[in-house]
Amino acid sequence: MDSEEAPAQRPVTLDITVEDVIGEAPSPEPSSQVPAKDYLLAQGESIDLGGEFATPQADSSASPLESLMDKLNDQMMESVMISDSPNNSEEEDAAPIDSFLDGDLNEENEGNTKYDTDEQAKCLTITAEIEVSTVQQNEDSEFKGTEETNIQEYVTPCMSSHPDGLSPSSPKCEEPTLEKGTHLKEEPVPVCTIFSQGKHPHSLIPDGFQPTLIKSPSFSLGSGGGTDEAVTPSKLTTPLVCQPSPSLSKFFTDNGQTNPASDFFDSFMAPSSFISVSNPNAEIAPRPKTPKTPIATTPEHQLSSPSFSTLSVPTANSAHVSVPTEFTEKHQPPFAQTAPALSQPLPPAPSSQSQPFNHLQAVFSGSDDAFAKAISLSEVDRRHDAWLPSEETRKSLISVATQQYGPAYGETNRLTMPGLKFDNLQGDAVKDLMLRFLGEQAAMKRQVLTASSVEQSFVGLQQLILWFVRLALLTKLKLFQNAELEFDPFGDLDQLDLFYEFYPTIYPGRRGSMVPFSMRLLHAELPQHLAKPQEALDRLHNLKTVCLTILENLEKCLAEDGSMSSLTEENTQESLKLWRSRLSRVLYSMANCLLMMKDYVLAVEVYQSIIQYEPQQRVQLLSGIGRIFLQIGDIKTAEVYFRNVEQACQMTDVNPSLTTCVLMNRAFVHLSQNNYAEAHAAFIEVLKMDPKNPVANNNAAVCLLYLGRLKESLGKLEGLVQQDPALYLHESVLFNLTTMYELESSRSTQKKQALLEAVACREGDSFNTQCLKLA
Amino acid sequence: MDVSQTKQEHLLALKVMRLTKPTLFTNLPVTCEDRDLPGGLFGELMRDDPSTIKGAETLMLGEMLTLPQNFGNIFLGETFSSYISVHNDSNQVVKDILVKADLQTSSQRLNLSASNSAMTELKPECCIDDVIHHEVKEIGTHILVCAVSYTTQFGEKLYFRKFFKFQVLKPLDVKTKFYNAETDEVFLEAQIQNITTSPMFMEKVSLEPSMMYNVSELNTVTLQDQGVSTFGKMSYLQPMDTRQYLYCLKPKPEYAEKAGVIKGVTVIGKLDIVWKTNLGERGRLQTSQLQRMAPGYGDIRLSMETIPDTVNLEEPFDISCKITNCSERTMDLVLDMCNTSCIHWCGVSGRALGKLSPAASLSLPLTLLSSMQGLQSISGLRLTDSFLKRTYEYDDVAQVCVVCPHNGHLS
Repeated sequence: MDSEEAPAQRPVTLDITVEDVIGEAPSPEPSSQVPAKDYLLAQGESIDLGGEFATPQADSSASPLESLMDKLNDQMMESVMISDSPNNSEEEDAAPIDSFLDGDLNEENEGNTKYDTDEQAKCLTITAEIEVSTVQQNEDSEFKGTEETNIQEYVTPCMSSHPDGLSPSSPKCEEPTLEKGTHLKEEPVPVCTIFSQGKHPHSLIPDGFQPTLIKSPSFSLGSGGGTDEAVTPSKLTTPLVCQPSPSLSKFFTDNGQTNPASDFFDSFMAPSSFISVSNPNAEIAPRPKTPKTPIATTPEHQLSSPSFSTLSVPTANSAHVSVPTEFTEKHQPPFAQTAPALSQPLPPAPSSQSQPFNHLQAVFSGSDDAFAKAISLSEVDRRHDAWLPSEETRKSLISVATQQYGPAYGETNRLTMPGLKFDNLQGDAVKDLMLRFLGEQAAMKRQVLTASSVEQSFVGLQQLILWFVRLALLTKLKLFQNAELEFDPFGDLDQLDLFYEFYPTIYPGRRGSMVPFSMRLLHAELPQHLAKPQEALDRLHNLKTVCLTILENLEKCLAEDGSMSSLTEENTQESLKLWRSRLSRVLYSMANCLLMMKDYVLAVEVYQSIIQYEPQQRVQLLSGIGRIFLQIGDIKTAEVYFRNVEQACQMTDVNPSLTTCVLMNRAFVHLSQNNYAEAHAAFIEVLKMDPKNPVANNNAAVCLLYLGRLKESLGKLEGLVQQDPALYLHESVLFNLTTMYELESSRSTQKKQALLEAVACREGDSFNTQCLKLA
Repeated sequence: MDVSQTKQEHLLALKVMRLTKPTLFTNLPVTCEDRDLPGGLFGELMRDDPSTIKGAETLMLGEMLTLPQNFGNIFLGETFSSYISVHNDSNQVVKDILVKADLQTSSQRLNLSASNSAMTELKPECCIDDVIHHEVKEIGTHILVCAVSYTTQFGEKLYFRKFFKFQVLKPLDVKTKFYNAETDEVFLEAQIQNITTSPMFMEKVSLEPSMMYNVSELNTVTLQDQGVSTFGKMSYLQPMDTRQYLYCLKPKPEYAEKAGVIKGVTVIGKLDIVWKTNLGERGRLQTSQLQRMAPGYGDIRLSMETIPDTVNLEEPFDISCKITNCSERTMDLVLDMCNTSCIHWCGVSGRALGKLSPAASLSLPLTLLSSMQGLQSISGLRLTDSFLKRTYEYDDVAQVCVVCPHNGHLS
């Protein structure tokens, strides 16, 4: 029973180091156990592979030199094989094959040009490598170029008047009732540009698009924290242009002169004529005052529309001025608010767009009876704004409340000084590609919404909410570096002036955080995208602790902040519901972060713990955990979780989406067992129940490719994209499609350009052009 | 105009893509609450995104499969799979197409094509597909050589080749250590380090013993009738992580009897390792035969068969020794027992044990007591071969813990 015969396949032999503790046995000679078969050289040719090469062991903790080697190697591997390279024509003269094979990684570049055989031959691998490295250089230099242009543009930052600034325009998607003195622009395609000023860089700037198309936990962070930086050169070279950013509290002492930092807020406001009321005493140092209602400002407005700066907040019908009361007495000449407005956060959908704004108005606009309004709002406000600041901040806030300190109280370093750091930070990558491949004519058709095409119709905006929106959108655009810079002045969101208590006169009796919870979450999540996952985890744990403490307080029938209160049962339940959902959202972020860190043990644990707060997501969570195990390669454990999913599905009524979930899981198990035929069948089974399921459609096509049915797979995906672009113009589908184009023929570029045209008339500028593999 | 501009332009295009496992798409959840300014917009956007998990949109790991983005790394023991596509880019029918895929390693050349027969014709815009698989068994440079030969409609015979080079890396670092027990058991500690860049699920790490040994794996702990891995809940290795596996090898009785057989360099067996990575990408390796030098025992080996671990102070206790003749000649043995400062032997010293032929052994029950507390070494046994008048000394053959019996009761 010699085990050498035991395995059916000839197993591979691995040399090992043997260390005998007794020290009597000699270490066996490491020997490569390649069965010395007769060399079968079909055409009587032999390719000399050269001697030893440095095995680039991908070792993240290796010396810099070694990791450089890794990168070299990675790039070579990345580019291998698929695309034919133009540099590599068959008529190239060169040396015999061994010459390039002997070379090391760097010499291979030259080896390629010398390459020669009597047959027409190519060595794709090597040329591809060259291509990549040159592209890399080009990109780098392009980034440098961008930097300069950005800086130049920054000499006149966003405060510079927009051409259309004085005549507010409105996109056609704006709610009609909000229209006021607007002119319609010709707008072929409503595509949204965020924070764009309508100026686009002329060069092709892959701004903000990560070279890595799809971040799978199995790929990212692989070789340590450095990878992220390595693949996103754009992030590193982002110009750090900063506007002057005075403290928020300074806005209150400001005498109304145009404040540089207010420009940001200006930019959200409509240019309209209005009365500006200001404080004649403003030049005098601020001192505690009892709130006094200025003539031009209605009291409820003060309550409900907090404003940091002396900004006008025009509504559709009337011009209100929201100014901190203590300082408002003197009339100021209206300053021209000409800066462009914030465009809608997302590709506009007319109905949905107006909804949150109305909603916002409902929350913030005043009512006739200020007092009643304040009371009705206070419950919701209290619930949502509740926060537990740090001990130090809490004490300071108490002293503000009790001693009636003015807002200037507090060391400046504990106050927030936000500032707009970026303008024009993103071009329109789709348009750039169109210019390059489809010509100027076609590119002209591409229209994106710019600031000028958006009606400025917000009423009484709370600036921190605006900040949240801006930062959330930066995150959504994957401009993490920029988001981080703009988050920076907010510190850990624990500064005094971020709490209502700091402004006892403006918000009498109101308590809690002015920073929306979602912004805290965003702030906590951000570092994970910047190769600082530990910091993200720290912040998330902090949020979790606050959530848990608040829940604990509520369960003890106290108010959120632990104070004695007489909350009605109904209100307590509402609060519990809200804070439980917040807790589970934080847990999701933690688990996602852990997954990115590849700490699968903890990630699974956290996902598992969410089930108790979100029992209705049990099936999805268990399936997700199962997929994590598949990703690790632990199929058995994955199957255990998938069985739990099936049990959970059986217990509930037959819900088709749950059964598709079971079928999907089965398909993934087949896939992991290398059984692509069965996996394909399972995805088809899903489609029988849910023919429009985009995931099953895409996955079935992917399986076909592994089964050697490229044309079929391609036909299927192409059909899907044409029939239902809304569902299938997704970067993962497009990436699959372009990959198959590349595999199919030499004319992939034309086909990709056709896709680009399809993308151009649908997708916004958050679209990841990388997936088209055109650039 | 895109075809046949030059002589060199071929009618057929050859494309090769490595088929690693697809990956699952992960999305980036950005959310807000209904009360926030964007209202339901973020949520709506995430629900509309086809790649999110419906009902749990904040779960990052989606279900959408994406094709491999790059060549990636390939490791010894993994299977190299590739898609080979030959596409007719021209507008003419091409005849007698033969596609051949060979893999050239430093030592051999393997044919990987599924079929070696020529395709009679290929119409424009049609393609020949082949998916090749090969379990990689060598480290170092590999070259995939794809050769395409065909005949044009004018009867011209054309031929071209493409080379695709890749490096096969070592996935694991394996180190072994042997520990020889008092008995004939051998313990093997194997340190297995993941030197790839991705987590590795260790599906199987087993020791296939050579014919002389039985093996028991010591990598699970039995808790309530269930084997629990000593490695915790998840059996995967992060990059650069090392894990120790422990095995106990016992000589089979037929070999153990003949103690002389296990001498010098012996083959212990080999490790069989199966791992999986992303979505079940599988790899398998076996180490070369592990060898060990059996410890030398001289002419006569004295080993302990039974001995209590704890004994009472000044109370006699029994031990049992096994005496094996490891030499090539018959011995006539006499046993002397010398007391040490704490060990006192009971019985007669200088008794004859009789003749012992080569490889034979005898069991010897002995009684002794200790006059001191603590961990005491059993020493003072002397065997004399009366044929050669040679004396063998056996000191520190075992240890025993001596306790005072009253202490336990008093305290």
